[in-house]
Amino acid sequence: MRSNRTLFLIEVAVFTALALLLDILPLSFKIWAQGGSISFAMIPVFIVAFRWGVKGGLLSGFLWGALQVATGTAYILHPLQGFIDYAIAFTVLGFAGIFAPKIQQAVKHNNTSSYLSYIALGVLLGSFLRFVAHYTAGVVFFESAIEGQPVWLYSLVYNGSYMFPSFIICTILVFFLFHTQPRTLLKAA
Amino acid sequence: MNNSLIIGQYVPGNSLIHRLDPRTKITVIFFFVFIVFFANNVVSYSILTLFAIACIVTSRVPIRFIAKGLTPVWFLIIFTFILHLIVTKEGTVLLEILGFKIYSGGVIQGFAISMRFFLLILVTSLLTLTTTPIEITDAIEEMLHPLKKLKFPVHELALMMSISLRFIPTLMQETEKISKAQASRGVDFKTGPIKERIKAIVPLLIPLFISAFKRAEELAMAMEARGYQGGEGRTKLRELKIEKRDMLIFVLFVFVIAGLFYFRSW
Repeated sequence: MRSNRTLFLIEVAVFTALALLLDILPLSFKIWAQGGSISFAMIPVFIVAFRWGVKGGLLSGFLWGALQVATGTAYILHPLQGFIDYAIAFTVLGFAGIFAPKIQQAVKHNNTSSYLSYIALGVLLGSFLRFVAHYTAGVVFFESAIEGQPVWLYSLVYNGSYMFPSFIICTILVFFLFHTQPRTLLKAA
Repeated sequence: MNNSLIIGQYVPGNSLIHRLDPRTKITVIFFFVFIVFFANNVVSYSILTLFAIACIVTSRVPIRFIAKGLTPVWFLIIFTFILHLIVTKEGTVLLEILGFKIYSGGVIQGFAISMRFFLLILVTSLLTLTTTPIEITDAIEEMLHPLKKLKFPVHELALMMSISLRFIPTLMQETEKISKAQASRGVDFKTGPIKERIKAIVPLLIPLFISAFKRAEELAMAMEARGYQGGEGRTKLRELKIEKRDMLIFVLFVFVIAGLFYFRSW
């Protein structure tokens, strides 16, 4: 009997590598000053989340954050900001996986509209949680830099300006992807 | 084979900073990120700056690499500096431009905050400039070891980090191959309206993901064929060891902290 455990570990690792790779490819529109980019790098994390559920998603997200620190693409300007931005923000993307069982079932029954809407919901949930984390980190950071300012507004504008387009791009792409290749969603073995 | 196979910012070298145990570097930087916030006068900032400069000089990393790491934050440094000039109304008026009064307090505070960002980025990027991602991964595994008792999958996490790092160059070549193949069929990635560009990404991503699944499956099978069954009893290729030079850095750093707290104004 084959154990799924090793495959799980490896698949999460390889897909996290893809996330990191898609983030540094010139294809992504990286114009934001620090630690924020409109890119579709979140897609591999969502795929892992939809294939393996919340656990896989959280693991992949956490790994992605940790690897950004290890490869030096992370920007830490405040201890708390660093922790929230890199340890929490990417991890919570994995919560998209709570729709995994529903999506798996819909794909098996070929129910296109059903799995597409669950995918959109999952991507929305993951992106929203990540946004909340980055937003909080932004408030902490701006608070430490400029006191007595409407820091919540800065953080909202700054983080919203890339998270919102990213969410749209990811949803569209994940839509396209699974419309053409639903089998990528099905759990292996 | 090209040089882009090395992921991250690592600049190879053989300096004291390069040879330090990665755990030493991570620990020192971790505390540095905290103590920077305690600096509040000229002397305390000078101590930290001196420490940072000393580290950079001993690391013998060319300045242009360090400057490259700073590029994304210049905007932020300048932004906060200007904001301080506008909103801080303490001290004496230094200058008046178009009805805007620039106060000495604003200049001082703006400068202090910019200095803090500068120091933070300088020191944190020095870690990734002198340490390979794999060394950092090994160090994280060692440092998180106590969490094993809480059933935190430390070994698995480290294994996955190394595998990810190992696969980035492979996947990068794969991406290049696929995008060339698709470009030869007429897919245009670089120009056109955004909508078309997003659409063009799909024929790149699908083969990339499918091949990633295949690679993952092959590797998992190969590992199991060789008897991989989790972390228990595995030995390591690279062993980390704390040397005299690590102790030296720790002692030096304790002096830096002591100096900082002695000279800062309370």
